[in-house]
This record gives sequence, C-alpha cells and structure tokens, in this order.
Amino acid sequence: MTRMMTGRARTTAARVAAPIGATAALLGTLTGCATAAAEAEVPVDASYRDGTYQANGTYESPNGSENIIVLIELENDIVTDVEITTNPNNPTTANYQGQFASGIGDLVIGEDIDKLDVTVVAGSSLTSNGFREAIAAIKADAVES
Amino acid sequence: MSSSTLLEPTAFEAIGAPWRIGVGGAATPTSSLGAPLSADDRAAVLARIEQFDRDWSRFRDDSLVARIAREPGSWSLPADAEPLLDLYERLHAATDARLSPLVGASLERLGYDAAYRLLPAGDPLPAPRWQDSLALRRTPAGLVLDTAAPVLLDVGAAGKGYLVDLVGELLVQRGLRDTVVDASGDVRVRGERSIRVALENPFDPAKALGVVELRDQALCASATTRRAWGDGLHHIIDAITGRPVDAVVATWVVADSALVADGVATAMFLADPARLCAVFAVEWVRLLADGRLEASAGLRGELFA
Repeated sequence: MTRMMTGRARTTAARVAAPIGATAALLGTLTGCATAAAEAEVPVDASYRDGTYQANGTYESPNGSENIIVLIELENDIVTDVEITTNPNNPTTANYQGQFASGIGDLVIGEDIDKLDVTVVAGSSLTSNGFREAIAAIKADAVES
Repeated sequence: MSSSTLLEPTAFEAIGAPWRIGVGGAATPTSSLGAPLSADDRAAVLARIEQFDRDWSRFRDDSLVARIAREPGSWSLPADAEPLLDLYERLHAATDARLSPLVGASLERLGYDAAYRLLPAGDPLPAPRWQDSLALRRTPAGLVLDTAAPVLLDVGAAGKGYLVDLVGELLVQRGLRDTVVDASGDVRVRGERSIRVALENPFDPAKALGVVELRDQALCASATTRRAWGDGLHHIIDAITGRPVDAVVATWVVADSALVADGVATAMFLADPARLCAVFAVEWVRLLADGRLEASAGLRGELFA
C-alpha cells in the first residue's frame, strides 16, 4: 500500500472534528513514521479506540493509479460514519468511485468493523480494494494494544 | 498484515468488464485479493482472454461466432468448446429450452447487438429450436458444429464464468495454484484460502444483501439491472418467447466451477431452483421482483435482508 499524505487528504482531516489523539496517531502512520503499527496483525475480536480515523488507499485501474481517502468514525467498535473522498484522474473513474463511495457507506454503518472484511464486492470491484487497504490501515492503527 | 497486502493485485479491463487477479495462500488476509501476477503471467492471461474473445464474441466481426452467423457449414470448434457446449445442453434440458445459446438473434431484435443499437427492431423474436439449428459431433479431432443455416450463437449465459475458469487453469499450469480471479461478478478462488464475497443489491449499489464464503469454489452473480437499456429490456432472455424475463431480478450461484455457477445463475431466472439443484451441485440466492430474497439451505454465509 502506498501511504502518502496528499494535500487533499490534509484538507479532509482538517474539516473533521476528531479526537486529537486518534487523528494524530493515524496521521503519524500516514506520513510514514509508524509503518510497524500498520503491519501488526489485527486480532479478529479486537477492541478499537473510539475516534475518527483516516487513511489513503491506492489501486491500479486501467486508467493508471487512482486513490481514495477513507475516513471513519468508530464508537464502541461500531462504525458510525464513513466519508470517502475520491480523487479520480478521469470521468470513468469518477463514475465508479462515485457509485462506490455512496454505496459502501450505507453498507457499513451499524456493522462491526470486522464485518467489513470482504475480499470482493461485486459491481464495485475496481474501487473496493483501495477501500479495503484504507480500512486495513485504520484497523491496525485503532486497535487497543 | 502480511507483506502480500502491501501489493496491489493485477487489474485490467477485458471483454467489457474490469478484472482483478491476486495470488495468495492461506495466510493472505481476507481483505486482500493477493499479490499481482508477474509481467509474463499477466501477458499470458491477456493472450488467453483475447483468444477466447476471438472465438466466442458476437460483438466482433472476425470471431468464429461471427463467421458461423454468416454462413452454414461444418465448423471445427476450439478445444475449450466442449465443456461450454456440454453445459449449455444440460441447461437447455433443465430449463425446458428456455435457456439457449440461440438467443443471439432475439437479443439483436431487442437492440443488444454488436453496434449497441439498444433500440428494439420489432416484436420479440423467439429463438430458433436447438434441434433445428445445431448438431454437435464429437470427433477425434474435437467438437464439430454442423449448421444448415447461419446461426447467431450467444454464450453470454456462461461464457464469462468459463473464461474465469480458463484463466485460473492457465495460472495453475504456470505454477500458480493459489489465486483469486474476479471478473466483476464472476469470481473463483483456488487453493487453501477462503474469501468473502459481498452480494450487491441490484437496486441499490449502496447495499449488500449478504456475504458468502468461498473456498476452492466459484460464485457468479447475474442481474437484470446490470445490462439494461430500456423499460423491461435487458440481456436475460427466455428463448421460448424471445422476451426478457421479469419475475426474477438477480441471482447468485456458488459451484465448484465458474462455468457451472455462471450458467446456473442465468438458469435461475428461467427455471425452478429445486429442479436445477437436482441436476447441478450448487448453492444459490435469488432476489425476486416483489422484493423477496430466497436462498438454498446449504449456503455458506449470511444474508442481511
């Protein structure tokens, strides 16, 4: 996974009223100074710190490299909100990302974060991998040690 | 996370759909499709897909199917034809001829043609009867198709699923036994790992109707909403009437091969699931037009509806 802090990602983070500790911890990972945390195994029944988390996911589409920014709010191990910032390079990607961004939010609200763990989402397959990478990074960061 | 999750799977567009292929074993996290193919393996996969398209596509002038549609004759079919046409014969029988590879002309009548005209050119056209149109001969040199008149074949009911199988087989021959091949709705996993597949609500891509677990299996999805071009016009046709079906909106089928899963997923629009399950070893989910969601008892996974 490519983890880079883009200008757009900073903007998104700044808009969110987030617990400072949680956001700061994640920003640390995004800027690349805590890769060990991101590579830790996440236990299936893990408990997560409440807060707002953000990560950047990249994937290869037929149009080249694309990325999405996923921001989620966790409360008592439940995802209570999802916000996806798409950053498409062309209209086709914008279309797919738009379908995906509006879709996955409804899918995950009210579900335990571990239930998001799917390998394939039919119909949005180009985007869902970037989303999953972002979620994987968030899980690694948010897990209670 | 293992190091494999740091890698993007191979992704490309082929036969009108996005494809993704990942390489990964039992240690690959569920959320990851796996590592990408090498450049050589990727090139071999693309060449295999191109070969299949050149044989079976009714959307290109230079395909074998296009030649069969132009003139009658005895046609030597490619080596991959036999499993595909065998399945079509079984599906044709199990659906009382409602599923047929002869719906090509019916689809063209409705507007789903090589030019993507997408405007009906007249009343629905029932498909020609199999026994009047096609005779298959098994010869030492392979399968031969005899036609007395030009015939427009359409292998859309099972072709993409079959190609997912063929791509996975090619990768096994190249030493890759643990792969996931995902052709947007048709997915097959090989090897020791399990994967989880979300079932997308065809009315609302925002919703998943369930999640199914797969291990060394395939899942194929089919929906009338995925390739629709007008009121009641879509690509799943009852060969007897030549009309699009309307009682079933979406189906998902799990089988040992994507060939069978894809073909039965189409047949689930046209026949009683119990009858299909008597013939094919499958688990299934289907969404009816009235909003009811049905599933087989042995389905491994969960439904949210």
